[in-house]
Amino acid sequence: MPEAIVVDQVSKAFGPTLALSAVSLTVNRGESRALIGKNGAGKSTLMSILTGLSQPDSGSVQVLAEGDAGGASAVGCVYQRSTLIPAATAAENIALARFPRSRAGLIRWPEVRRQATELLAEWEYADLAGTPVEQLEPLERKVVEICRVLSQGPRVLLLDEPTAGLDRGASQRLFGHIERARARGVTIIYVSHHLHEVFEVCDSVTVLRDGRAVLTEQLTRMTVPDLVDAMVGEAAATAGGGLRAARPESARPPVLVASGVTAPKVNGVDLALRPGECVGLTGLDGAGHMQLAEVLTGQRPAEAGTVTLDGRPLPLGDIRGCIEAGIGFTPEDRHTSGYVPALSVAENATLNIMPRFANGFRLISGKKRDAFYSRLAGEWNIKAYGAAQPTEELSGGNQQKVVLARSVAADPKVLVLVNPTAGVDVSAKNSIYTTIEALRADGQAVLIVTTDDADLEVCDRVVVMVHGEVSAELRHPFTEGMIAAAVQGGGTTEPDLLPSGEEDSQ
Amino acid sequence: MSAVSPRKLSEPVAAAAPSHAARRARRSVDPVVLTLLPIIVIAVIVGAVVNPVFLTTTNIIDNIITTSAVLGVLVIAESLILIGGYFDLSLEATVGFAPMLLAVLVSSAADAGLGLPFWAGLLITIPAVLLIGLANGLMIAKMKLNAFIVTLAMLILLQGLTIGLSGGQTFAMLPKAMTYLGDGVILGLPVQAWIFVLAFAAAYVFMKFTPTGRSIYAMGGNLEAARAAGIRTTRLTIGVVVAGSLLAALAGLMLTGRIASVTANQGSGMIFTVFAAAVIGGISLNGGRGNLIGAGLGVILLGIIQNILTLSNVPSFWINAAYGAIILAALLIGWVSTQRFPGGRAAA
Ligand SMILES: Nc1ncnc2c1ncn2[C@@H]1O[C@H](COP(=O)(O)OP(=O)(O)OP(=O)(O)O)[C@@H](O)[C@H]1O
Ligand SMILES: [Mg+2]
Repeated sequence: MPEAIVVDQVSKAFGPTLALSAVSLTVNRGESRALIGKNGAGKSTLMSILTGLSQPDSGSVQVLAEGDAGGASAVGCVYQRSTLIPAATAAENIALARFPRSRAGLIRWPEVRRQATELLAEWEYADLAGTPVEQLEPLERKVVEICRVLSQGPRVLLLDEPTAGLDRGASQRLFGHIERARARGVTIIYVSHHLHEVFEVCDSVTVLRDGRAVLTEQLTRMTVPDLVDAMVGEAAATAGGGLRAARPESARPPVLVASGVTAPKVNGVDLALRPGECVGLTGLDGAGHMQLAEVLTGQRPAEAGTVTLDGRPLPLGDIRGCIEAGIGFTPEDRHTSGYVPALSVAENATLNIMPRFANGFRLISGKKRDAFYSRLAGEWNIKAYGAAQPTEELSGGNQQKVVLARSVAADPKVLVLVNPTAGVDVSAKNSIYTTIEALRADGQAVLIVTTDDADLEVCDRVVVMVHGEVSAELRHPFTEGMIAAAVQGGGTTEPDLLPSGEEDSQ
Repeated sequence: MSAVSPRKLSEPVAAAAPSHAARRARRSVDPVVLTLLPIIVIAVIVGAVVNPVFLTTTNIIDNIITTSAVLGVLVIAESLILIGGYFDLSLEATVGFAPMLLAVLVSSAADAGLGLPFWAGLLITIPAVLLIGLANGLMIAKMKLNAFIVTLAMLILLQGLTIGLSGGQTFAMLPKAMTYLGDGVILGLPVQAWIFVLAFAAAYVFMKFTPTGRSIYAMGGNLEAARAAGIRTTRLTIGVVVAGSLLAALAGLMLTGRIASVTANQGSGMIFTVFAAAVIGGISLNGGRGNLIGAGLGVILLGIIQNILTLSNVPSFWINAAYGAIILAALLIGWVSTQRFPGGRAAA
């Protein structure tokens, strides 16, 4: 079989960081190759070299042999970070660079709109075509981005963590599209931290570790633990498990009580969190769970209802007030609203607690801050060359870790994590779960808002929302199937469960 | 925090940076400062060659530093606003408006003024300046109107008010208190030189080491992220814009003091030089990047160039053209230097 992609001894350094070191790999035409590795292993760097966005320091890459009509449109890439134009509509973003034109050379806007609507309809987002991208939810943006790439009919498809932030339904739809592309003989490189996805989507796998390709193998000969070992190194600890045991229900009075919370997409929701409890909140896209999380963290005002923390009302719509009251949270879209690119990792990780490092003159002591940061960096395994490195230079997953580290830095009483493990590697995933465990042991309450089943595993109970209302509450032991049924509004498989979270609201 | 200690996976911190310390050392010096210092040295050498007067203390202190002080204070004001992610064109109008208002209030009736005591004049002028900043800030931060158009309108309005207040005349019989900022001397150095140095030092420390200063960087670097980290961005924006107006008024009084009169067009056209100095000094027009040391060096470089042009008797008709060409050259050199050191963008 002829090769579609040949990477030969490619190296790339950013200052002292060797992002890729003599990486060689070949992908055959029509093959679907998984590219996995820990955060900062060099996956995104390799992708940007393949698309020509950046140049290797040494070595060469060839994507589609000559005479094969290579060129930009033959290679499509969904980048890890959004490449959409915020002020343009979804339709314009999808059509960008290959607008349908009239004979006079002018753009045919109705056609732009029609094509986009058609593409988006396959994802059940037909009504988004005319909306400016900046008004879309993060998940919807990702879908627009994927549509743009797929619409160009690429012969080589590069996907850098396309499912990070997608919900179950959207991921399945993406897999359907990938399946069809494979049937057409499209060559695929697929980057993901969800190892089970890799088995679903790919034929073979290449593992990067610290910029080197350490393993290339057919997936039929691999298991998930094999992959983890290769990613983390020989001395790998086994991932996951062990956190699952059902724990006795906390008898302490709730620390956070939401009653009758109403906001766009949220209709009068009651919710209570007890100290030492970890609660999952999930639903399909648009079910209102994300919006509820935004209300609880002060990012969005409520139209009606109240939320109290330790008996005191939370200043809804006032982020600073909520943080001061004891709420810690991570924004949903961590790439765009999580961190300040130009500021150092140390500053980003401590942005919410700066006054803590003030010295006698009320000036920030860089030493104190960096010492605090290095502890965070150790705990969260943040890969940066030092406290002063600008956050924009970190790999996508490491940027996420910086934001996560910040959310617990202020010692919150209630921690609200939105898709905490999206885009982070297995070892970071484990540090997140261990952190949640530690917070819980410490008597803090954790709310995990997520569409990832593995995240819900660690929760004591899972609150499911459908159409802006709490439709079910699941307690251990629950299965993925039960959650899948509940988010569809199909009720729970266990009849004795209460239909709403009301038992907890006092 | 102690409870929040996830065990790390037993994995050595992988292949850490080889030349860790070396990298840190190179980083800690701002690339903009690295580029500007040699240019300033070259400019000084050129100046010394062109005219022996250039290197005398009088020329350096009385001409270069002192005449740069007004520009310097304005550049501080604009830099704070730029770093916060906005900009303010109306600063130059405040430079004219504030002293004009004060002059009208405190000049004697014989000089077409109201003859109020100096303190009473200040008591009216300062709130008026605050009001200008507040109006700009509210429109930009709260109503989310575009800073360009808001401050452009404010610029036109204030220039009009200044002309209206002046009744077309120049106020030259000013009370001594009002010209102190121009001719005062402390420890043998002109007040203007003191203000120049101290204002930059204070602004640098404020922006680099106070939580508020860092919040301004965060806001300009990523508004959404700053908000999510609990920074009250609306308030902060208003605060920064108000501070900018106050600094512009101070610059106006310094200018009035230096020339010992207030004209109706004082300050007009200055905003372009202000932007040029800030950008040459590495302040990003997109917000969130650059520092006040760089901005200060930018001001000094422009001051030196202006001084050389004056000393070398360039006909006054050509000074502006030469000035513009040199600003462009400085920008190009800055561009070359960022190409030379990859990643050498101005740090925050
Ligand atoms: N512009 C840059 N400047 C400096 N260092 C960089 C830059 N881009 C990437 N790096 C470094 O290169 C290494 C590899 O980064 P890369 O983004 O390829 O990782 P990744 O495998 O995609 O990780 P993730 O799973 O977190 O997305 C990281 O250590 C990162 O800090
Ligand atoms: Mg990446």
